[in-house]
Amino acid sequence: MKKAQQEAYKRDYAQAKAEGKPFFPYAIYKDHIVAILCFAWIIGMAIWHRVEIGRPIYEATTDFVPRPEWYFFFLFELLKIFKGENFLTPVIMATFIVPNVLMALLVLTPFIDRTPERRLEKRPFAMAVAMIIFTSLAWLTYKGATSEAASGALTFEPQDDNTELAAKVIAANGCQSCHVIGAGGGNLGPNLNTIGNQKRGVQWHIDHLKAPSSKVPGSPMPPFASLSEPDLKALATVLDGLGTTYQVK
Amino acid sequence: MTTKDIGPKNPVAQVGDGVVDYVENRTGAKTGISWFLFRNVPKETSWFQTLGFAAMAVFGLQAVTGIVLAMYYKPSSDTAYQSIQHITHEVTFGWLVRGMHKWGATAMIVLVFLHMGRVFLFGSYKYPRELTWVTGSILLILTMFMGLTGYLLVWDEKAYWATVVAMNITASAPILGPYVADIMRAGPDMGPDTLSRFYSIHMLVIPGGILTFVGLHLFLVAKLGISEPPWSKRSYKARYDQEAAERAAARERVPAGRREVTADPAPQTVNAGGDQ
Ligand code: HEC
Ligand code: HEM
Repeated sequence: MKKAQQEAYKRDYAQAKAEGKPFFPYAIYKDHIVAILCFAWIIGMAIWHRVEIGRPIYEATTDFVPRPEWYFFFLFELLKIFKGENFLTPVIMATFIVPNVLMALLVLTPFIDRTPERRLEKRPFAMAVAMIIFTSLAWLTYKGATSEAASGALTFEPQDDNTELAAKVIAANGCQSCHVIGAGGGNLGPNLNTIGNQKRGVQWHIDHLKAPSSKVPGSPMPPFASLSEPDLKALATVLDGLGTTYQVK
Repeated sequence: MTTKDIGPKNPVAQVGDGVVDYVENRTGAKTGISWFLFRNVPKETSWFQTLGFAAMAVFGLQAVTGIVLAMYYKPSSDTAYQSIQHITHEVTFGWLVRGMHKWGATAMIVLVFLHMGRVFLFGSYKYPRELTWVTGSILLILTMFMGLTGYLLVWDEKAYWATVVAMNITASAPILGPYVADIMRAGPDMGPDTLSRFYSIHMLVIPGGILTFVGLHLFLVAKLGISEPPWSKRSYKARYDQEAAERAAARERVPAGRREVTADPAPQTVNAGGDQ
């Protein structure tokens, strides 16, 4: 904004203020009405929608989706869009680039948009950008709110020692809370039913399980380094053959 | 204020006045408070301009319910889950306090976003309020972190795994990411220390930050004055007068602003003064 425009704004605002009304009580009473309504809403919701508590951790269940609070749904949904399936949609987009660009845009808004114009109808570009960001966030939040949980135990065909062990490890570690394996599962990570087609090799899977980000930079999958060697081996073997040697029943 | 001396004052009131004068003499508090309360705001401020205050009020409510919860909550990986169950099912009105804290968090996030939306739509982030917006953005980020750290404290499976993912997301950021994640988790993996660390961040670090930035934010709002809605009748009229004056000046080939406005029916041109 040019110096003259700044001066003009100051003069204009000084006039608005001179013709204005004292904050107390003419503005502050509105503030209090709205705050009291908010308090009433909070107490009402606390009464009508009792807060629950989930199951304790470390129980080998898979029928839940690891969900953050609803205001982080958009981040988790971004993860599903950029699953690291190819080099064009790296996970790092969802975990680092998009959120940081949004944060930078947020903080820098007043330094990007420096015109003195304040009327909505005279700021079409700012309105368009805001609408795009708002709609995408709302859509991602909605998608996150409606994603489903997994259920059911797994059996693999043909059965052998590896599949038996793998099914147990999968159940005990909650893989299905993020991956579809068989019929159900979360969709935070990729569907694993045909992961064998990728021909990654058993060793790749072992390394990936121990430290996912060593294979897929920026992977948000937790490391399962504490699994025993035989567990890892069996799981990796089954994963490497899923869709080819092994099928989920 | 003018005093109308109508005889000896009630001694209690006298003592009260004395205290006020004493404090005013040494701090200027009375002047400061009256300046804050009785400063003028533009006449046409809208109901949408109450959302920041509502966010602040809900933050206050969160502090109160949070303090009550902290009296029963036991931040250790063996006891956290049980203590939440205790609060929810046994403590008198524990369910209500926990419910208010949880819904209060949601309300605060919604209010902060709505408030930001109104500031954006009103164009209130423009000169001279750029730094008010910056302190506000920091408040938004801090509020989101409040939600992230508070969520884990329940220590149930949903919250646990969600936080595992969130920490891995942090760790995946280039350069600083792994260090930040290790600092937040208190090590390379989630464990008992993660819980107490989140507890301290949720209870001390972020609330301290929010208080500081709300202070700065409010100071700037009061100092710069709350903005006027861009469609206020007054501003339309001022703009109209300005343009009329410019047209008249152009007709008379005199530079705008130099022309003497003598028989103008609307004397309130933009140049009308007033205290800042
Ligand atoms: C918290 C969510 C989460 C959990 C729990 C999880 N994963 Fe993942 N997983 C992901 C995400 C996200 C990806 C995509 C990024 C990557 O490839 O590392 C992924 C990727 C994978 C891949 C590679 C897929 C590909 O196409 O490259 C395999 C294999 C895998 N996970 C197996 C497992 C197994 C086995 C378990 C259970 C021991 C498990 N995951 C638990 C989130 C999770
Ligand atoms: C904890 C969160 C916040 C609190 C408690 C808060 C509080 C307030 C209050 C009380 C006001 C006075 C006017 C009003 O109520 O509208 C205000 C104004 C303002 N806020 Fe916030 N705010 C918060 C977050 C934000 C955010 C996220 C932004 C933007 C990124 C922001 C930007 C502004 C600006 C620019 C003003 C000046 C508006 C004007 O003069 O019209 N604030 N804030």
